[in-house]
Amino acid sequence: METKAMKNRIQIFLLLLPGILMFSVFTIYPIVKLFVMSFFSWDLSSMHRQEFIGFQNYAAVLSDEVFLISLVNTLLYTMITVPAQMALGLLVAVLIHSLPRYQISFRVIHYLPVITPWVIASLVFKYIFNTEGMLNYFLYELLHLTNRNIAWLDSRWSGMFVIETLGIWKGVGWNMVIFLAALQGVPEELYEVADLDGCGGIRKFFYVTLPSIKNTILFAMVMLTIGGFNVFTSIKLITDGKPLHQTQTVLTWMYYKAFRNGEFGYTAALSFIVVVALIFLATLQFRIMKNRNEED
Amino acid sequence: MKKRQTFRVGKLLCYLTLIIGGIVSILPMTYMLGTSLRPNGALYEYPPRFFPDLDTITIENYIYVLTKEKFYINFLNSIIVSVSTIILAAIISTSLAFCIARFRFPGRNLLFGLVIGTMIIPGTTLIITQFELASFLGVINKLTGLIPFYVAWVIPFSTFMIKGFIENIPREFDQAAYIDGGSVFTVFFNIAIPLASPAIASVSIFNFLTAWEEFQWALTVLNDNAKRTFPIAISGFLGQHQFTQWGYVFAMSVISLIPVILIFILFQKYFITGLTTGGLKG
Repeated sequence: METKAMKNRIQIFLLLLPGILMFSVFTIYPIVKLFVMSFFSWDLSSMHRQEFIGFQNYAAVLSDEVFLISLVNTLLYTMITVPAQMALGLLVAVLIHSLPRYQISFRVIHYLPVITPWVIASLVFKYIFNTEGMLNYFLYELLHLTNRNIAWLDSRWSGMFVIETLGIWKGVGWNMVIFLAALQGVPEELYEVADLDGCGGIRKFFYVTLPSIKNTILFAMVMLTIGGFNVFTSIKLITDGKPLHQTQTVLTWMYYKAFRNGEFGYTAALSFIVVVALIFLATLQFRIMKNRNEED
Repeated sequence: MKKRQTFRVGKLLCYLTLIIGGIVSILPMTYMLGTSLRPNGALYEYPPRFFPDLDTITIENYIYVLTKEKFYINFLNSIIVSVSTIILAAIISTSLAFCIARFRFPGRNLLFGLVIGTMIIPGTTLIITQFELASFLGVINKLTGLIPFYVAWVIPFSTFMIKGFIENIPREFDQAAYIDGGSVFTVFFNIAIPLASPAIASVSIFNFLTAWEEFQWALTVLNDNAKRTFPIAISGFLGQHQFTQWGYVFAMSVISLIPVILIFILFQKYFITGLTTGGLKG
């Protein structure tokens, strides 16, 4: 009996070993090292004589004008794309849910942008929003809505607008799928009771549907906020931070500082500021939703 | 009577909205396909056309990228990296998930806490220290410089999802196996893996897509064109020429989209289970 328990313990250890090894070497070690290095002077010129400099890297990040631009861009990207994706995704989900037929076809079509690789979607958007591209042709030559071809990618706000449009376009389908699943879980009796009370479709949506899928909304919001902070590929390929770093986001700026300028200590500090900001935002969202739940 | 009419109008509006949404969803990709089938010289024609005339359709862009640019090498690199990633990630995450779901061992809560915690951290933030590690291991500019990092990257989410699924498998199955003289391995291979296979499958599909399209790490690690995966090959091609050869770029893009669409059509139901099992309980 003893030997059997021992054998099982060894087997559990063997099952855990590869995962713990991979995780420690490729994830935990880089995190710890990054945290330590954020307190050292560390760049291409001083690779081998790193000095402890306390919070100087953090101070450098926080007083860097481009970092503040990139932070504002990232926050705006998140605040614009997250609610827009959720609202449109929920709208599509509710509409599809109400259909007697063709549910699967509509679901498949609306999900296609989600599975399109970011690189491909970014290049197509770059092509469409080109100054001599299809969109300007429609707006100017065909519909006469604008009086010239707009240089979408040449200014901060119109450049970010293109990036945000892409983010929303690509995200609606994901929201649709998880909201559809949540809608299927809402008990039919709740709607029947609402019918007896004489509620119309819109009131049913606000008093029955929304409260029933609250957890899904929270889940989507947290996941999408994390996703919003991850915006990288679209910026890199569509604007590459231009003009004059006006369209950098935190991660593209971090990448630029690390691999163009070789300022690793700065980059490490920036990474930790992003991580702390994300943890703060995620906790905040959980708190707000939890308080709402308790009020109900 | 009136009620019925508003009902009809409502249905009509509903279909109309969904059709418009559907068109917006597929329009960019259709435009890309149209552009890739156009003779390369006609790309700068004005006014731009959505789809080429039927008699001018050509596959010359495809022939060019496959023969002159040897794009099939990049495509194969992506296949090798993605398939290795999903196999390793499936094995490692399933064993981790099984142990966390079924046993109490020292450090179990810490391990699970780290799994959850690292899901929040954007992969890109670790790029310098991971790059340093990759140089130390001598895997820069090699496909083996991508695979272990991708595996480590997808382990937290995969483990989290599979653990949730295994917890829903009744423990009576395990106990029966133990009473019959089975060991931990018996339970793992004969009960946990077969019963959790739907979760493993859907996680693997997501992992495939993650590895298939990954951009920034591959951009950092791979320089040599023969080693590049397709996202880097396409974006690198964009930078090489003063005037972007959109016909070639989009021919490459269409080729790399084919596996994604195939997987999506073949495994559609796993996409839904994958998205809904892990996150939405309770």
